[in-house]
Amino acid sequence: MSEAGAATMTGMPDPGIDEVGARAAAIVENVETVISGKRDAVVAALTVLLAEGHLLIEDVPGVGKTMLARSLARSVDLTVSRIQFTPDLLPSDVTGVSVFDQSSRSFTFKPGPVFANLVIGDEINRASPKTQSALLECMEEHQVTADGVTHRLGRPFVVVATQNPVEMEGTYPLPEAQRDRFMARISMGYPAQADELAMLSTRETASPIELVDPVVGLEELQGMIRTVSRVFTSAPVKEYAVELARATRDDRQLRLGASPRATLQLVRAAKAHAAMHGRDFVLPDDIDALAVPVLAHRLVPTSRALGSHDHDSGPLIDAVVRRIVADTPVPIGSARRD
Amino acid sequence: MRRDRAPLSRLQSVALSGSAFLLLVSAVMALGPLLAGAGWWWLCAATAAAVLFGGAGLRAIRVPASLVPVGELGVLLLVLTLFFGGASSFLLLIPTADTFGLFGELLGGAQRTIQQQSVPAVVVPPLAFALALGTGLLAVAVDLAVHTLRLPALAAAPAMVPILVPGFLIEDGAEVGTLVLAAAAFLLLLRVDVRVRRRAALAQHDDDEVRITAPQRMPIGSTLLPTVGLAAAGLVAASLLTASTPSVSTSLLLGTGGQGALFARGVSPFLDLGRDLRRPDAVPAFSYVARDGDRPYFRLLTIDRFDGEVWGPGERRIDGDNAVAEFPTPTGLGDEVARSQHPIDVTVQQLRTTWLPLPYPVASVEGLDGSWFWDRGSLAVRSADSDTSGQQYRATMLEIEPTAEQLRAAGDRIPESIQEFTALPEDVPASIRELAGELGARGGTAYDRAVAIQEYLRGADFSYSVEAPVEEGYDGGGLDVIAEFLEQREGYCVHFASTMAVLARELGIPSRISVGYTAGTPTTKRVENVSVVQVDSQDLHAWPELYFQGVGWVPFEPTPGRGTVPDYSRPGASETAPAPERVPGTPAPTPGARPDLDPERQLSGGRTSAATNDPAVWPLVALALVVLLLLPAAVRSWVRRVRVRRIRRGDRGADAAWREAMATASDLGFPAGADDALTPREAAEALLDELGGVDEGARRALHALRDSVERARYGPPGTAAPASEEALVELVAALRAVASPVARWRARLLPASLLDTARAGRRAAARA
Repeated sequence: MSEAGAATMTGMPDPGIDEVGARAAAIVENVETVISGKRDAVVAALTVLLAEGHLLIEDVPGVGKTMLARSLARSVDLTVSRIQFTPDLLPSDVTGVSVFDQSSRSFTFKPGPVFANLVIGDEINRASPKTQSALLECMEEHQVTADGVTHRLGRPFVVVATQNPVEMEGTYPLPEAQRDRFMARISMGYPAQADELAMLSTRETASPIELVDPVVGLEELQGMIRTVSRVFTSAPVKEYAVELARATRDDRQLRLGASPRATLQLVRAAKAHAAMHGRDFVLPDDIDALAVPVLAHRLVPTSRALGSHDHDSGPLIDAVVRRIVADTPVPIGSARRD
Repeated sequence: MRRDRAPLSRLQSVALSGSAFLLLVSAVMALGPLLAGAGWWWLCAATAAAVLFGGAGLRAIRVPASLVPVGELGVLLLVLTLFFGGASSFLLLIPTADTFGLFGELLGGAQRTIQQQSVPAVVVPPLAFALALGTGLLAVAVDLAVHTLRLPALAAAPAMVPILVPGFLIEDGAEVGTLVLAAAAFLLLLRVDVRVRRRAALAQHDDDEVRITAPQRMPIGSTLLPTVGLAAAGLVAASLLTASTPSVSTSLLLGTGGQGALFARGVSPFLDLGRDLRRPDAVPAFSYVARDGDRPYFRLLTIDRFDGEVWGPGERRIDGDNAVAEFPTPTGLGDEVARSQHPIDVTVQQLRTTWLPLPYPVASVEGLDGSWFWDRGSLAVRSADSDTSGQQYRATMLEIEPTAEQLRAAGDRIPESIQEFTALPEDVPASIRELAGELGARGGTAYDRAVAIQEYLRGADFSYSVEAPVEEGYDGGGLDVIAEFLEQREGYCVHFASTMAVLARELGIPSRISVGYTAGTPTTKRVENVSVVQVDSQDLHAWPELYFQGVGWVPFEPTPGRGTVPDYSRPGASETAPAPERVPGTPAPTPGARPDLDPERQLSGGRTSAATNDPAVWPLVALALVVLLLLPAAVRSWVRRVRVRRIRRGDRGADAAWREAMATASDLGFPAGADDALTPREAAEALLDELGGVDEGARRALHALRDSVERARYGPPGTAAPASEEALVELVAALRAVASPVARWRARLLPASLLDTARAGRRAAARA
């Protein structure tokens, strides 16, 4: 499966924007048969997938983080691998290792679990920083280098990492620089009462994940991704994204603002968001919808602003981002073109 | 532009109103140099307080923000009724139709008093009414800026009005201290607003996070538009009001012209008087009933300054203490001179002037409408806020009956205060000097010389003519005219009067000229067995008055064939000559026996019409009000036409269609349309929420408009579809169908969308 997805062109034309919307809706619906009542999380995850970013799911154990990642992977017929991060996990356990083949009397590279379209990194903050950074390098470079040989990863390559809230025992919180590599962070939250009840009855006999069938093939997904990358972003919307990022850097409650990479990923995620709604151009509304998931996990509050929040800065940062969005003027845009 | 707008607590609202109140009353203080006294300021302050705190009270009981200004106007009406409504109101507070009539009269009076008074003006009731009304309207405007628009900086605009006014009227403008005070109050208002905003923003988030509110970003365009709009509306209103103001008449005696305006142009009142005398048809001026049979001259005004060309009145402004209920003792009148009081009832007919026709001197005047004051020097009576039309009043004449002996006893003594009435220019023509020398050489006291002048002018050499001076080109009262008149020896009252006045001054006798009416003609009509005497425009007259110490100003009659020669001025009059007996009900003998025998009756020409522009003003005012009322609708309809044209032309049509749709929604009272901080998508969602159930067609139309404006604004170049006018029409129809009839009328007459750019910022609420 090393070259899975790397074979790109098969002569199939890229889907139109409407078809992207329709397929995205089908995927969301399919995933929702497993994860009910978490539409926002599902949509965010798919958005990240279509934008070829990486997703960080942060929540307490047992709310379905892994289930979401796996059902998404199954719905689009991707190759999936799963890494359970533990404190003793080594970098080579993630990327793969060169072993000496007695028969050929040479070193051959044995790919690690990272060689898949969708890599689920469970409880990434339990691993040592060294192992974390091994994964994060792959995420950024889309390749693995071992013994001087570079091995390209497949396309799409999406890491869905889950993370327990940082105050849990035995964890190494991701440093700011590494959090920045994730396109978006979402949290699942506890299910509503009705959803939890329904879950009890559906899971009585079998895991519903087994019942999820792919609705979109790998090649179709690649086509969707290419279509997404062609979604038009007008100058006012780009300016708007930049304005938002700049506002986070100037904000008095924030110690660390959004990086230029954050701006880039915000716009890419907005393209995917637009395409999922069958639109071939980005609206300020797309940017607004993604501002919190895309920006919040990269920002660091001042200790003064953090104040009584102890270590859990999440709600504070979310509120700051929402305020910035509310305070930043929406560009009316030029109507010169009509 | 997105702004959080948190509702204010009552305390915060009152704090804002309080600082707005301080701003307004300190700004109103700037009118101080223009007005006499301080009572008016308390009135303005009370009105402003009632309106502003009334508004705060309305907000406290959760009256919708858009209705608060209306409520404030109601409060203003109640306050005005309380202060000015008097008996016409119901329970002191409730205005009736009569109250509005009264208000109309007060406004008319205010307009006149502004024309007639010079600074500092006496605050007569109409002026007080105008001040209270103006302050109240300014208070509504300030409140609109501070509370409704939440743009306290805009409150500077209404506050500037009273500050700017003095600059137009007096050289110095408003006092510096007042300006500093007003500026401080303005800063206080801004400060309070900032604090209130911060508190409100903090209170809005119920968690205990420390929040720092970002400074409001305010694109200049959003405040510019309403500001310019308000300023334009104000200018239009001002110019309309100016247009409806009656123009200053050129005629002194039949017009409404104020003193200042008239004489500032250097026009002699004599010329106007002559013009009136030459009119063919006599216009009834007024009639009077004198129970004691008096036939006095009725003076309008006295002119006592002579610069060689023009006679004019002294520069005396109205003094608010000089009410006509009581007059002082006339200047120079000594105790030994016989005097008696006779009531005369006057009914003004077509005379319209700010000067009151009265005998000289009078003891009191009763029954006048409006505010009338006597002039300290001449005791002439003029009004600050009304005019003579329709007046009915009782003047108690103080009849002075000096004897020739008393006049002779005056000698040549002239007190210091009267010296100015002997002033003559340097360049008195030689012929006048010589004549004065001749007459003075006859000897005797000042009184004897005065009698000699009168005798000379009434001599057979002089004849009366209202036409000759005009034909010969020497009309008026200047020195050259007098010299020419003394050559030609033909003229009318103004020539005789001014010649005698100049000759008297040349001989050292203080003199002045009174302008008014002769005694008039008795009619057959009788009131309580007393003949009604009719005075008309043909009775217009001018006569000299000379000053004698111990007696005061006494009239002379140098004009041959006009008026009555006073007994004391007849040659040979002695202290033994009794004053003629006056029997009640019988007219005094009138030499010249007019009208039948007066030659000038046949000579006069021209046509007169009393200037009664009162009825003409009210339609204009009504028209101005209607125009003002329709102005917002007109502006809105113009904006709509511009947008529809853009849609049809395809000139940013999607944008125009969307803006028009949102503006219509805003007009009809759906706040989603008012908030231009919302993206089209958010606005459409919010509007659908506000509409509740709406049919599928309207929903589709709204979405079509939304999609096309989104594509136009943010879509790839060249993909924008033409805007659909049909969708706009369908959506507008659906919106109007949902709105209440009241909302539909309000949308037409007071389209809220005109103010929307200043009111943006409901985004946070819409997203919540």
